Amino acid sequence: MDLFLQTLLNGLLIGGVIATFTIAFQLTFGVLHVIDFAVGGWVVLGGYLGYYVTALLGLDGFAAIPLAFVLFGALGYLIGPVLYNVRNSRTARPELMALALTFGLFTLLRGGMLTAWGFNTRNVTTFLSGESLAVGPVIVPLIRVAAAVFAAAIAGGLFLFLYRTRYGLAIRATAENCHNAALMGVNIRRLSANVYGLYAGITAMAGVLMGAIYSVNPEVGLRYTLFAFFVAVLAGLGSVGGAVAAALMLGVIEAFVSTYVGSSYSLLAIFATLFVVLLVSPKGILRRGL
Amino acid sequence: MSTLAADTIVTGYGKQEIVHGVSLAAEAGKITCIFGPNGCGKSTLLKAIAGALPVWGGAARLDDTVLSNLPVHEVVRQGLVLMPQGGGVFPRLTVMENLRMGGYAIADKRLVEARIEALIEQYPSLARRRRTLAGALSGGEQAMLSLARALVSEPRFILLDEPSAGLSPAMVLETLERITTLTRQGIGILMVEQNIREAMPIADRLYILAAGEKRFEGSPADVRDDRQIMDIYMGGA
Repeated sequence: MDLFLQTLLNGLLIGGVIATFTIAFQLTFGVLHVIDFAVGGWVVLGGYLGYYVTALLGLDGFAAIPLAFVLFGALGYLIGPVLYNVRNSRTARPELMALALTFGLFTLLRGGMLTAWGFNTRNVTTFLSGESLAVGPVIVPLIRVAAAVFAAAIAGGLFLFLYRTRYGLAIRATAENCHNAALMGVNIRRLSANVYGLYAGITAMAGVLMGAIYSVNPEVGLRYTLFAFFVAVLAGLGSVGGAVAAALMLGVIEAFVSTYVGSSYSLLAIFATLFVVLLVSPKGILRRGL
Repeated sequence: MSTLAADTIVTGYGKQEIVHGVSLAAEAGKITCIFGPNGCGKSTLLKAIAGALPVWGGAARLDDTVLSNLPVHEVVRQGLVLMPQGGGVFPRLTVMENLRMGGYAIADKRLVEARIEALIEQYPSLARRRRTLAGALSGGEQAMLSLARALVSEPRFILLDEPSAGLSPAMVLETLERITTLTRQGIGILMVEQNIREAMPIADRLYILAAGEKRFEGSPADVRDDRQIMDIYMGGA
């Protein structure tokens, strides 16, 4: 029973961190209509930034969080217009071209990281690393709690931005219908660049947290890309509300399979779940949109 | 007196030319209607004037400003709003959020809120349902929301793409009556309509398009005198 509770809690805490970048992933799909293969690349880059901030600058891993947002947000802001141009180009299949572009970006990020840093697994150390808290029979690693709290703060901030500001309103309107939003005076091109920047920044922040909980190497990016796809399909592409539920579910499934079966089976279990859900409900569990 | 003019506009989709050089003019405070059979390029022309579709030749002008050089999101800032077919409300945004989007081009947030408050009083069905998602409104209410949203930016011209499409007969009358009221505030209306019977009486000037070309222009009285035009394009109405 203790192990069960322990596993459930671990899964929910991890799911919370996964939720932050999958929300942003969904938002990007809603606005740019691009499934971003590079999502795992941004996660890993965030993790490496966390590592270098601790290893080279001697700072706490948490200090890398705002830095990741600024640095990779800016990078995303520069890449955003390229993606927008490809997606809205007059080529025969712009949606496939955009997918190919993000796949290329992902390959580039992964290859670049392998070349630059090699296949070394790195950890992000924080002042909470190794600390844990006993709540009754359950032992909670503090880093996971902190990561989940950060994740909740980031997600909360994003929701406040989307639902309480004019620009957030414009983003939601654009995600619904970019042609009508443009008629209202929204500069779709600039908005797309901003959203991609926001997404890349948030995803890299989640990467710092992931690096602190697990560890990073250039190969784990694919795993996070698959996570994002799982959440997107389960929640319904573009659904932000569904992403939170689906990410928590993902975290719990992964935790249980790793604990009771073996971690090498976790992806199998995750995609078996996806398969079953799609058989039963082809539109995802919460087809609600933004 | 403002004039919205289209000067030999050529446009289309992809490589397909649909509108082959049409000129027209709409004046402030007047209702200008574009009639014509399905697929003749009415909506395409309207979109091109509003900047939602690139112009291949010719240009649209609002007084001395050439609209056709501007990106679509700048056109609304020149005082011209396009209401796309079906109204173009955002179904997953609330009534208030839709109205706020109507004022997106205005930097002063307080001014937008004040205008919305003033406007919403004239639309009682909306005033009661501020927090309702637009998608949950009836077709008629969505049409009202779309019209109210267009007014938030206080445009000089409103371009309407078949405002009566899909509405009940009673709602068609209410919509057209509200449109007529707007002209008394000096707003110019340029609209595409299929519902000729209802739209003819309120039109000040009309154009007939067929196969991407202008076939007729004049006042409703001129049309009624022209047996041939009446028979071919107006179904003898």
